[in-house]
Amino acid sequence: MPETAETSHLIVRNLLTAAWLLPLAAFIAQVYAVECWSNRLSRASGLLGCAAIGGSLVLSLLAVAFFPSGSGSAHTADDGSNHAAVDAEHEAHPSATPAALAGRYYTLARFGDSRLELGWYVDSLTLVLFVVIGLIASCVHVFSLGYLDDERTEDYRDEHAHAGDEQPVSRAGRFHLFFAYLSLFCFSMFGLVLAGNLLQVFAFWELVGFCSYLLIGFYRERPSAVRAANKAILVNRVGDFGFLIGLAVLWTSVGTLQFATEVDSKGVTASGLFEQVRGDGQLELSDDSKSVVLQRHLEAGDEPAPTRPTIAYTLFVLAGLGIVAGSIGKSAQFPLQTWLPDAMEGPTPVSALVHSATMVAAGVYLVARCYPLLAPEVLLVVAYVGAATLFIGATIALTATELKQVLAFSTISQLGYMMLALGVGGWGAGVFHLSTHAFFKSLLFLSAGSVILACHHEQRLDRLGGLRHRLPWTAAAMLIGTLAVTGVGIPNPWAPGYSLALSGFHSKDMVLASALAFVRLNPLHSLLYLVPLAGAGITAVYMFRLWLKVFVGRPADQHVFEHAKESPPVVLIPLAVLAFFSVFSAVGGESSWLYRGLVTSEPAFVAASSTSSAIWPITHPGHEEIHAAHGAAGLMVWLVAMAGAGIAIWIFGYQPFSADELRATFPRLRQFLLDRWRFDALYDLAVVQPVLRISRQAIAIDRTVIDPLLHGASRLLVQLAGWGRRIDELLVDGAVVGIGAWTWRSGERLRRLQSGQLRQYVLWLGLSVVVLFGVVTWMRPG
Amino acid sequence: MQNFDLLLLTAIIFLPATWAVPLLFFPKSAVEAMRWWTLAGTAITFGLTLVLWGKVDFSSPDMQLVVAVPWIEPWNIAYRLGVDGISLPLIVLTSGVCLLSMLASWSVDKQVKGYLILFLLLETGILGVFLALDFFLFFIFWEVMLLPMYFLIGVWGGPRREYAAIKFFLYTFVGSVLMLVAMLMLYFEGGYTFDLMRLAAIGEGRIDGLQFSRSFQIVTFWLLAIGFAIKLPVAPLHTWLPDAHVEAPTPISMILAGVLLKLGGYGFLRIALPICPYGTQAAAWALVGFGVFSILYGGLAALAQTDFKRLVAYSSVSHMGFVLIGLGCWKISEQTGMGVGLKHWEMGLHAALFQMIAHGITSTGMFFMVGVLYDRVHHRDLNRFGGIANRMPEYAGLAAVLFFAGLGLPALCGFIGEVFAILAVWNYSPLAAVLSALGMILAAAYVLWTVQRVYLGSEYHGPLAENLTALLPRERFVAYVLSILAIVFGVLPNLLLSRMQPPLHQLVIRMDEAYRGLHQVLASIGQAGGG
Repeated sequence: MPETAETSHLIVRNLLTAAWLLPLAAFIAQVYAVECWSNRLSRASGLLGCAAIGGSLVLSLLAVAFFPSGSGSAHTADDGSNHAAVDAEHEAHPSATPAALAGRYYTLARFGDSRLELGWYVDSLTLVLFVVIGLIASCVHVFSLGYLDDERTEDYRDEHAHAGDEQPVSRAGRFHLFFAYLSLFCFSMFGLVLAGNLLQVFAFWELVGFCSYLLIGFYRERPSAVRAANKAILVNRVGDFGFLIGLAVLWTSVGTLQFATEVDSKGVTASGLFEQVRGDGQLELSDDSKSVVLQRHLEAGDEPAPTRPTIAYTLFVLAGLGIVAGSIGKSAQFPLQTWLPDAMEGPTPVSALVHSATMVAAGVYLVARCYPLLAPEVLLVVAYVGAATLFIGATIALTATELKQVLAFSTISQLGYMMLALGVGGWGAGVFHLSTHAFFKSLLFLSAGSVILACHHEQRLDRLGGLRHRLPWTAAAMLIGTLAVTGVGIPNPWAPGYSLALSGFHSKDMVLASALAFVRLNPLHSLLYLVPLAGAGITAVYMFRLWLKVFVGRPADQHVFEHAKESPPVVLIPLAVLAFFSVFSAVGGESSWLYRGLVTSEPAFVAASSTSSAIWPITHPGHEEIHAAHGAAGLMVWLVAMAGAGIAIWIFGYQPFSADELRATFPRLRQFLLDRWRFDALYDLAVVQPVLRISRQAIAIDRTVIDPLLHGASRLLVQLAGWGRRIDELLVDGAVVGIGAWTWRSGERLRRLQSGQLRQYVLWLGLSVVVLFGVVTWMRPG
Repeated sequence: MQNFDLLLLTAIIFLPATWAVPLLFFPKSAVEAMRWWTLAGTAITFGLTLVLWGKVDFSSPDMQLVVAVPWIEPWNIAYRLGVDGISLPLIVLTSGVCLLSMLASWSVDKQVKGYLILFLLLETGILGVFLALDFFLFFIFWEVMLLPMYFLIGVWGGPRREYAAIKFFLYTFVGSVLMLVAMLMLYFEGGYTFDLMRLAAIGEGRIDGLQFSRSFQIVTFWLLAIGFAIKLPVAPLHTWLPDAHVEAPTPISMILAGVLLKLGGYGFLRIALPICPYGTQAAAWALVGFGVFSILYGGLAALAQTDFKRLVAYSSVSHMGFVLIGLGCWKISEQTGMGVGLKHWEMGLHAALFQMIAHGITSTGMFFMVGVLYDRVHHRDLNRFGGIANRMPEYAGLAAVLFFAGLGLPALCGFIGEVFAILAVWNYSPLAAVLSALGMILAAAYVLWTVQRVYLGSEYHGPLAENLTALLPRERFVAYVLSILAIVFGVLPNLLLSRMQPPLHQLVIRMDEAYRGLHQVLASIGQAGGG
């Protein structure tokens, strides 16, 4: 243990700050690698990237070691068996925010008593995510050294991009740039997790989106890649639009975006969002239940204000929905899930890091982080969004025809599980599944990358098959991933935490347990348990279908099969590391180090069951109820998953039907799924086309309304000037006529320019000044 | 000390114009020498504005280095100058942008001498507007600035230059005329003075027994506001802008977008708001409403453009809308006249001023980047680019920084102004906040689509592909300076915001008091009438 809280505080801050900034330094060096200190054939940029992220990982681990465990936390001893003790401790520590360190780097702006700043907020969730991101990013970096090795060339031929003459595009390799983008992404992702306030989260939120844009569009010669990159940002911006509204509501009504309560150097306390909204745990509603009472910290001498500040309940719900909208965009939830499958255009290591393990999980992280700010009604929305997403994703994955597409829809579906867990009150289950999923999904993607590398960028499922003979290590790694994601295993009824099963089994168990506990308390919302249960079965079907189609059966394409050879160690070692964590990271279930570490950050009010009826009645289960549901839920989900696996093995392993027969079974349903529930077509019709139409009309207004008005006014003035000339001719003598003629000539000349003569305007405008001035003076009252 | 201030401020204003005189004596063929001479002039001016930056005490909310020399005494007109935290960032922006656009002026080959003379006169005009504290002087500089611009567009512009120049002139001139009317009204109503500080004091009710009446304020505010709105520009008074930008040569576009548009916003902050607090409040809905309209209209129009420069021009309309909503989001309680959430309005003013500076950096940069391409391939058709990132990687990277700053990417300067404006305006009108947040989606759409069509893709589709060569050192310098500034102000916005804070805070306090005073009078009249 460190000597004092103060020093460990500083050490943790400095370690994490260094871990955060290290990739940024690497990024700057890598951008200029080829121009300044390296060349296109060199590995230096990649090695630098690996070193930087490895350094970040080490620093994060050190930060975990120095993190003052248990200080002020009510949750450290929480393993489901001693709830009474936990609850008693809650009363002793009336704080909505458990062990968290927070502080400020510097101020962005101050307005009156409100401040926006760059700060940091560290609790065990932050630390776990730092380690998980650091670990996965390190694996992906090393993997990329092998995967992108062919970019180390002056002349890279991109078979998927064509120039005008249908030849493959030839370009300089971009090995250094890929690692630069990866480093920038790691910096942004760490920043997102470390952020101490919502504005900062929003800033890094956009930055990770931008990095994802760069990485999806890495093959920028391919039109499909560029389109996918644009789509990712645009769809995300729709969600971010909601996020920004949420920020505006909180900023205006609560007056801060800071998570933690802060005491500045002068001893002035600025209450953070969590304290203001939740105070000592539950929301405090006003007498008429129409607003939430905010709990601001009072200075020692202060009298409590006669009317306490409040935020209207509808606004509070709106703020929550806004934050959730942001999450829906980033985590590819229904109805904004359409960008993620397209994002698979990026290189496969990117899919593993950005589009499965880390960035897309940021939405889940945000909901978890902002949990105290979400009204029960908002959580219900989260739960239903999660349920809808997991079902849509899983069904589309059933028919997807490309290796990475299956995994992408699986990711969408698993993110839905996390959202669902958070929505039904299973905070721990949600973030637990987030962590385990990060390991096994990045394992699956990297395995897929290994297959793609071995098969020379062939990833259509109907061209693969039988590859386990050629790629034994990859096949084993992918099988581990498949078992983990499906939750198939041999349960141990006496100690479920020590079943013969992989990490996904445990975390999905807990998600389902939370859902079952919720449904038992709110029978109206039974779908929230039935859908994920069915989803578990579908997951098993599509994952085993995938594995069997790739690694078992007869090779569909002899050419591909014969040229396939196992990947080099630089690719396989990361697989081994991730496989290790996919297997062991959740051993012990509720008592695993990972889960126990995570729940120390759980907001205090989650532990006990709570009922709310501000808009409609919802009861959220506490730890006790969830624990009670564990056995039943675990058994059911295991049965369903085994059944799904069995079906898949029967259909795709023994192949009782031919591929054509399968296709002909439900042709319309199949087409509907292949069209991804037709969301893309719908959005194109309902949003994209109308906006483009309106925008064309906007410039048409400039050309056909505003400018003609102007031209008309000009012509009118020229006419008037002409009359003026005639009056001149009648009244003024010959000397002036000469000037008039000159004026007329100029006027004629400039009339062709449609806008008349400058001199005359000046004259007329001068006159109108006098007239206008007269009118205004005359009309001016008083 | 007073004399030194006078000298410094006068030098800043008139150094460029004086610098233009020796240009007359350069031989016509000494083009390169004339360019370097002019560059030296803009550089010295920039240096002087930095000296000024060093001399100003930013913790004070008041006008500083105030000098007043009687000029036309019968009419009580004086040569009054001064700076504060509102004008100084804009002054440094002006001299900086002029320096950078002078560096970009090497691409101008036609009648170089005349161009450079007008360029320097333009700089004098703009700096004069930002430094003037006398309305008459302000107006003179406003007009001085207009003519060089007219000729710079009309002589050195593109194919439709005469049309664009006249359109620019007429629009601005109409604004000038309205401003002139307002100026004369203020002169007579305010006891025969053009002193902006005194007029503001009267408007803010800080002078006993003298205050502009409510209806007078409303009329005056509208006259001034239309003039400044044309300059800003606010849709639907914006159609001069795309034409002027498309036809103007690159360095003039940079000044036009980078600095001239800010005169509109500055006019609001320096003149229209403090002199007419009641008028401002009465028109707040219009400021916010037209601001939102500009954001959406500009964004939508930009989305449909095929000309690279026109697209950037319309993006300016959209970005300036954020300035307007920031200026206008002053919410009061109808019953008491008290400000509601005044700190949000203060935030809005900060956002507006910051957005002006940020846009001064990004739009200058964007026009410069368009110009770099235009110099090489002599067209701006968005559908005939592509693959530039592979041909000119460094250029594409720097352009990406500037375009994404325009998109509002965090850590770049565009983000702060836009997001702060949206956060501030929610207090005034949630609907306005929602609609302006939609503008950020549009910004993403047109920027990304542009980047896609110009920089990405497999190959360049247009003519003169062989000219697509790497940046020249001069171009590289301009691009790096602007990109680095975009990052610095995006990461450390408080560098500027903290310096703007004292005067803006004081402005909010005074306007709130002034409005309450007039509101109470109104309320008592209402009661008297009712009783």
